[in-house]
Amino acid sequence: MFNWTFRELFSSPQQLLASVAAVASAFALVLFFEGVFAGESEKIVALIDKTDADVWVMQEGVGNMHMTTSFLADWKIDAVAGVEGVKKVTPILYLNSVFEAGGRNWFSFVVGMEAGDPRAGPWEMARGARAPGPGEAIIPEVIADSAGLGIGDKVRIAGEDFTIAGLSRDTFSMANSITFVTLDDLAETISTVGTVSYLLVDAEPGVNPAELAERIKAEVEKVNALTREEFSARDYSIAVQMGLDIVWIMTLIGGALAVLLTGFIVHSHVSERERELAVMKALGVRDRSIYAALLLQALAIGLLAYALAVALIYLAVPLVGVLSPKISLGVTTAALIRSGSTAVVVSLIAAIIPVRRVLSVDPVSAFQQ
Amino acid sequence: MTTPILQAENVVKTFGQGHALVRAVDGVSLELQQGEMVTITGPSGSGKTTLVSILGALLRADSGKVVIDGTDISTLSEAGLSALRARTIGFVFQSFNLLEALSVRENVLFPAHLAPGGVKAAAPRADEILEKLGLAERRHALPRTLSGGEKQRVAIARALINEPRLIIADEPTGNLDSKSGQNVLMVLHDIARDDGRGVLIVTHDRRVEDVADRILWLEDGKLRDRKLDAHEWVRDPVCNMAIDSWTSEIFIDHGEARYHFCSERCRERFTATPETYITHLSNNRAALERRS
Repeated sequence: MFNWTFRELFSSPQQLLASVAAVASAFALVLFFEGVFAGESEKIVALIDKTDADVWVMQEGVGNMHMTTSFLADWKIDAVAGVEGVKKVTPILYLNSVFEAGGRNWFSFVVGMEAGDPRAGPWEMARGARAPGPGEAIIPEVIADSAGLGIGDKVRIAGEDFTIAGLSRDTFSMANSITFVTLDDLAETISTVGTVSYLLVDAEPGVNPAELAERIKAEVEKVNALTREEFSARDYSIAVQMGLDIVWIMTLIGGALAVLLTGFIVHSHVSERERELAVMKALGVRDRSIYAALLLQALAIGLLAYALAVALIYLAVPLVGVLSPKISLGVTTAALIRSGSTAVVVSLIAAIIPVRRVLSVDPVSAFQQ
Repeated sequence: MTTPILQAENVVKTFGQGHALVRAVDGVSLELQQGEMVTITGPSGSGKTTLVSILGALLRADSGKVVIDGTDISTLSEAGLSALRARTIGFVFQSFNLLEALSVRENVLFPAHLAPGGVKAAAPRADEILEKLGLAERRHALPRTLSGGEKQRVAIARALINEPRLIIADEPTGNLDSKSGQNVLMVLHDIARDDGRGVLIVTHDRRVEDVADRILWLEDGKLRDRKLDAHEWVRDPVCNMAIDSWTSEIFIDHGEARYHFCSERCRERFTATPETYITHLSNNRAALERRS
């Protein structure tokens, strides 16, 4: 029976390929949407991850960066710098804002960094200056290209005009972008004096970042300090939580589509092979053995489709990067596990669809011409 | 006397209700001994498929008793019937009914996984049967590449793999040319004679009469024994052709008598004006009697 199950399935390679491709398209759709979401989430924490500070210091009570405001008195820069194990402290001012470029508004994290110090600045440049000077801004290359802007052109941030001094890479996603100006310019723009938002702390070699964070919290009043890993993980989880319902709905829709497709395919197999099933029943094969065979076929289709979908999505990652730079596609292990589990569940459910048809197969029909 | 491998007592099967009620099998009783080859023949729609389905444990009778290899099948569950079919009965179908995705050898071994010992134990037996039936060279071929005769021999090999005591063959020569048909009949004959299995053949093929031990005639769901040399020659009242009333399939009951015809055309002509042909038939008979 096991032999028949797979021989029958592979007896028509074109039909199998078409079936697998149809189901794979449903899985690929789910993986693609999840990939876009994961890519967007990764971009939200890109500043934290790529600037690579050992510890982030922020206002007490604040634990993340996304959709949050943090204010620290600037005297705390020196206080943190004085903590044992701190090698360097880099302050940034930070604003969730929109800026106007090419007649369109772009949502952006605006980072005010110390003039001439690229420590908290863009990590990958397309062209131009790595650190902005007074009145200058570094914007994502994708926005500049979309808006038809280049170095020397003007953009408007929080109501003030800035000259584009550099174009950065890896700082844009569909939901967010990162723009860099000087700390003083941003402070003036938002009318704040003597405050910064976050401190990027580099530890002395050999110092444990987690222990350093604890020391900073203990020695500097009313601050929160987190290691980069923890800070990034918190922001990422907030980003993920924001889209979790959407991801589940997409998974459900994609899964339902895959169930219908797999069910239809297995049902078609049963219809086409009704005579063979009647012969099997006549020879003494029990219904449950036939169900088991159908379940295995459904499982094989589901897993092959899943494998094809994974291959497609890995192929899509570089392609999307080239063809549509605005879209950030990321494939996470969690998404792969979720889709793999969905494929198994889909197969189990799909195998139920032709049960009635199998039951209705009359072994007596094996005698009919 | 040995216990029959197949025993049916007063088996009845009806379909439909009220005016649409059809007694497909109407009080059939029969016995099949080991080593015996019995043919059931009869006109189309006489209930042969229904009867063979009941005798093959594929269909339950409304009443009566069917005992296969000592087991009253009415006492068995569906699973029990499946197990009985797998181990005790070998089926040979008119349309061969091979599994298209499997090779000849795999087809032959297919029922083996339903029997004790499984495929592994049956593999040497499969090779032996294929050798015996002249299919050893074709063991890896797919069914679509076989001739009709080869397909039917594969089907017979499959029927034999679990060493069943009963073989039920439905029109085994129906889709074969004359030579292949003859070959298949002889294989079935040898299975009964040499292997001692009970072979029940449902067929229209007159050649089976030459090799069968008994011929049973089924008509309107009723079964009657027919001796091997039994023929009752009557005249078609329309064209005067001689017809064996035992095997004739085209007939009509008119008045007190049954009239047999060589074709539908003759029957239609008779139906239009029966008296013309009855008179004609009487005159012919009178002329024949005068001559004799």
